Amino acid sequence: MESLQSKAKELIKDASVAVIIGYAAGTKKGKTKPFFAYSEEDCEKLIFTPECVNNLTIYLTRKFDFMKKGKVAIVAKGCDIKTINVLIQENQLKRDDVVILGVSCEGVVDKDVILDRAELTADLPEDKKSIKCITCDVNTPSDFDHLFGEGVESKAIEPMTGGIYDEVDKVRGMAQGEKWNFWMEHFERCIKCYACKKVCPLCYCDVCITEKNQPQWIETSAHERGNYAWNIKRAMDLSGRCTFCGECDRVCPAEIPLNLLNQEMAKLNYEAFDGYRAGYQTEEKPPFVSFKEDDDEGFIR
Amino acid sequence: MTLKLLKEDGLKKLIEALNKADTRVVGPKRNKAGMVTYDDVNADTELELDEVIGRYSPKDAFFPQHETVMRYKLDGKDVHVKAETPVIKETVLLGVRPCDAAAMISLNKVFTWDYVDTLFTERQKKATIISLACNNADESCFCTSVGFAPDGTEGSDILLKKIKSGGYLAELITKEGEAFATTHKSIFENAPAKADTVAIAEPTKLDIDIDRIKSWLDDKEKSWEHPLWEQLAAKCVGCGGCTFVCPTCHCFDIVDEPYGDQGKRVKNWDGCQFDHFTLHASGHNPREHQPQRWRNRFSCKFKIYPDRFEKKGCVGCGRCIRVCPVNLDITEAMTEITQIAK
Repeated sequence: MESLQSKAKELIKDASVAVIIGYAAGTKKGKTKPFFAYSEEDCEKLIFTPECVNNLTIYLTRKFDFMKKGKVAIVAKGCDIKTINVLIQENQLKRDDVVILGVSCEGVVDKDVILDRAELTADLPEDKKSIKCITCDVNTPSDFDHLFGEGVESKAIEPMTGGIYDEVDKVRGMAQGEKWNFWMEHFERCIKCYACKKVCPLCYCDVCITEKNQPQWIETSAHERGNYAWNIKRAMDLSGRCTFCGECDRVCPAEIPLNLLNQEMAKLNYEAFDGYRAGYQTEEKPPFVSFKEDDDEGFIR
Repeated sequence: MTLKLLKEDGLKKLIEALNKADTRVVGPKRNKAGMVTYDDVNADTELELDEVIGRYSPKDAFFPQHETVMRYKLDGKDVHVKAETPVIKETVLLGVRPCDAAAMISLNKVFTWDYVDTLFTERQKKATIISLACNNADESCFCTSVGFAPDGTEGSDILLKKIKSGGYLAELITKEGEAFATTHKSIFENAPAKADTVAIAEPTKLDIDIDRIKSWLDDKEKSWEHPLWEQLAAKCVGCGGCTFVCPTCHCFDIVDEPYGDQGKRVKNWDGCQFDHFTLHASGHNPREHQPQRWRNRFSCKFKIYPDRFEKKGCVGCGRCIRVCPVNLDITEAMTEITQIAK
């Protein structure tokens, strides 16, 4: 990753950016960490390997102060750039305020995998890849200012098939009661830590409905009603917006299959809104953010 | 200290006896999502004793994540309130780790400090803690760096050590432990003069000096606004996972949940890493930024706890490191501060 480091140094040296948001080696085997480079020396710590799982675009949102520091550079995989696109679409970010250091990526490690290797290297066995990588078609980023990593071709895929979508179809095939039980069994484990919303770059509201307590719209209790209300509410909020970065699923301490829930919503959007997929465009408004006079009202009874 | 022997079928017999006596048994168990947590156990075959440590701490057995403390009913202009008095069964925590047993003592200090939380203390009083010495440690374990040990006895009534040829050597630590072994004397047999136990785990000993960390934190001129907090915790997303899995984190929130003209007052876990945790009604937040919140959590473990309770606030279980999505490693902070404070 010498070229990434030297480009980063160049950006810091000529003061093109105030900070570079990237990855550095972590403190434990197989772990990397989000890292903020402010100096040329810092830039020497920047890396990119399949262990770089985090979606760093969260640091571009108003949950953090980085964008107030001036122009910011970010190391971003193709999937992360999808989140940048949604942030632009939702007026949370201006494309000109960020320098995208795009990295080609053939997959990142699955959340349960700790690769036991002394040095962080580029290669990653197929069976250790995150489920989101199976249906990835943005191995080479669609948008970037500088690109790192040569010779990686984006795969051609049939959208909404294979990988997680096979599991989506499996749940769709369940009878109504079975489906209800399936989800309630998962939601039962929810510990209401809200890590899912905290790690999500698209959960950027200044005040979350979970914090509204007069009345308490979403009960803080980790009981059936509270857990159900929260998980369904979050799925609805991300409908037509979720880019399948998989961060919520990765961080959930209770192992609730949030990818499955969010991708069910993504598939519904794809089917209902002419093949709409979040993160692939910046101009068009997301389905639930736009209003058209000729929108179908047939469902209102 | 008395030594006893649990033969290979000892745990099986013990759980059967406890089931018969209607005693609740809580132990490491794999849930449907494939992770090991501490949950109600009905047979020894459910126990996952080789797991380094469960995802969550067993504190939930004394301090449930969610519990009702009071119920109310509106009646015209009156309101009837009734304190919740749950049936608390005799409980055995079986196969928990020594670090988790030690943490229960620290938790007790909080729940008996200015107000005695009887829901906690009653559960604790009715519990026997049978911990299991660790034969394996992972990279995140650091008990030996904060003054605990994989075969430590603090907080345990009985400590089990695995015997190479099968079964366990049982050290009876407290008089409650002695009494428990007497009650189940057909299971806790006389120990042989010599038992060949499996080697105890050796977690990496880190270059950490908690006394030095404490004095650095005491010196607020030096530590309060130190750039280290920002350097380490600027990446923190505030998910609070660390507080929920921690065996000594104890913050909770009291909320009323109405159901029509009646309702209940509930006690739910809360965490200092959440942005609204210290948010005042005025809109002012004394811990506005995440690094300040993280400084609070760190200080709680290594200064506030020792100051207030003369107890350690961190037992080195390593759960916060394992669960952190941004690799915010508490031992990294401890190592750095140990250096800075030299």
